[in-house]
Amino acid sequence: MLTKKGKYGLKALVHLAGMPAGQLAFVNDIATANTIPKKFLDAILGELRNAGFVQSRKGKDGGYRLARPADEIRVGHVVRVLDGPLAPIPCASRTQYQRCEDCNEATCQVRHLMLEVRQAIAEVLDQRSLAEMRDIGLDELPVATKIQA
Amino acid sequence: MSGRGSSNSIIIVGGGASGVVLAAHLLKSANPDLRVTLIEKRPHFGQGIAYSTLLSAHVLNVSAAGMSAYADDPGNFWRWLQAGGLLGQDQTPLTPFYAPRSVYARYLKELLDDLETRERETGRLRLIREESLSISPTASGVEVTLANGTSVVAHLAVLATGHDEQPAQGHAVRMGSEADTALDPDSRVMVLGTGLSMVDAFLALEQRGHKGEIIAVSRRGLLPSPHRKGNPIKLDVADIPLGTQLSYFVGWFRDLIRENQKAGVDWRDVVDGLRPFNQKIWQNWPASAKRRFVEHTKAWWDIHRHRMAPEVHAEVSEAVRSGRIRLVAGRVVGIDAGERVSVDIQARHSQAIETVEVARIYDCSGIVRDISTSSNSVVRSLVDRGLARPDPLRIGLDVSANCEIIAADGAVSRKILAVGPLTRGTFFEIDAIPDIRVQCARLTRQLLG
Repeated sequence: MLTKKGKYGLKALVHLAGMPAGQLAFVNDIATANTIPKKFLDAILGELRNAGFVQSRKGKDGGYRLARPADEIRVGHVVRVLDGPLAPIPCASRTQYQRCEDCNEATCQVRHLMLEVRQAIAEVLDQRSLAEMRDIGLDELPVATKIQA
Repeated sequence: MSGRGSSNSIIIVGGGASGVVLAAHLLKSANPDLRVTLIEKRPHFGQGIAYSTLLSAHVLNVSAAGMSAYADDPGNFWRWLQAGGLLGQDQTPLTPFYAPRSVYARYLKELLDDLETRERETGRLRLIREESLSISPTASGVEVTLANGTSVVAHLAVLATGHDEQPAQGHAVRMGSEADTALDPDSRVMVLGTGLSMVDAFLALEQRGHKGEIIAVSRRGLLPSPHRKGNPIKLDVADIPLGTQLSYFVGWFRDLIRENQKAGVDWRDVVDGLRPFNQKIWQNWPASAKRRFVEHTKAWWDIHRHRMAPEVHAEVSEAVRSGRIRLVAGRVVGIDAGERVSVDIQARHSQAIETVEVARIYDCSGIVRDISTSSNSVVRSLVDRGLARPDPLRIGLDVSANCEIIAADGAVSRKILAVGPLTRGTFFEIDAIPDIRVQCARLTRQLLG
């Protein structure tokens, strides 16, 4: 399940992927443009830096930029760092497994299907790069808006 | 594969373990037009460097159940051992058994003999005992030039040249080479390296009745760990952080081991649980993480991942305890070679320099220093002509995920491919049979459908 943290992190990275190569973005600008609480964003960017997806510079001209080209960073890799193992429900994870109070895992068909779902999630998210996600936005968002209207 | 011309005739350059395993997989195909030519410079097929030892103390580092030549028939080696009466009464496929490497060489030889007999009428397998000098692409395929002046042609060639036999460093000699002449049994010797090759050297010295002190030097002075019967933990790709910086991954992995240990799980089961994903983890790392891993983490990883049979470990540990083997973390900073060899070693932590006199230095460092200086003429000539290029870390040749070699200009070859240790820049752990057989099975599907 994608948490807010995961969603905000991806939005911030897509923002950075839209910057000219090497240029730094201010945390404030990223927060405002994507309506992310600034403090939360600071924490998220810190974790992304520890994992090696972004680089930062301190000071007045400081900010963040991608540590690698956007086509080399996979969406699934970012989500694992921010949200932990990919899993649709907590009982469908091997390393962060949490037993459900209210069912028997050996006979639970829901869990069984969700284990399949997690493989599918990994397949989709590990195929897509930040560059691809950035480009989806440009082509398809207006269409989506039109349908809504 | 679309775009690839006919791939019915295939030359395998190198008839060691990986060459024989590949030939065996190819010949499982029913295609009557298939032609496999296996070329080996040594007198015997299926041995290479790894399995040419005759010493019974040199056992496999992988239990028999993992050593079948066939990816889809893991019990093949086990059944061969059983049929040959080479197993004890109480051995089951679940009890670890580390067969002598010479026995494994015999297994591969018999496997190839059987294939040769079976294919005699079909003419699908041809064995050539000769050194290959070079491979050149031609209009219709490839041409492999041999040391006897003749050449062989085929649609494509697969390099299976195995571990590179780089010349020994400086004044050191390779164990078992011509320079490894008789020694005074009480003399002190030095071994460069403290890994599995050092262990082999120690066992060989024991066998020869050598009694003197063995000083084993490596940057960290770490000895590989012993195997223990266990049950690898189950992981999914969805659990594993991919594409991160090395420190992040290592932190995650240490935590995973710690949590499992708290639950009473042996660390080996965690290390082994990661094995199915090792190639994927490696391939997703940024170049900087790969470089850091090779420089800083690999030594630590290797002693936990590439372990030895418990009996061998007990013998080596006893030799360390008794002072027969002295493990030194440090590096050799100076060598003065005369009648005896005087070596300066700088300790890793104190930086203090100690001078020791030894009768001989054995090179067991086992690391490819630079593939473009390979002692293998085929590999070197491909690199020299720009038909192949070293991978970014120069530990092997740059190959695609489909094992195709990549030229100096980045072009992916459709005619020259590689398997085994030569492809470690792309596949990381591709030195051992359990990984090589999977690679060969996949390549077979790719080439023959």
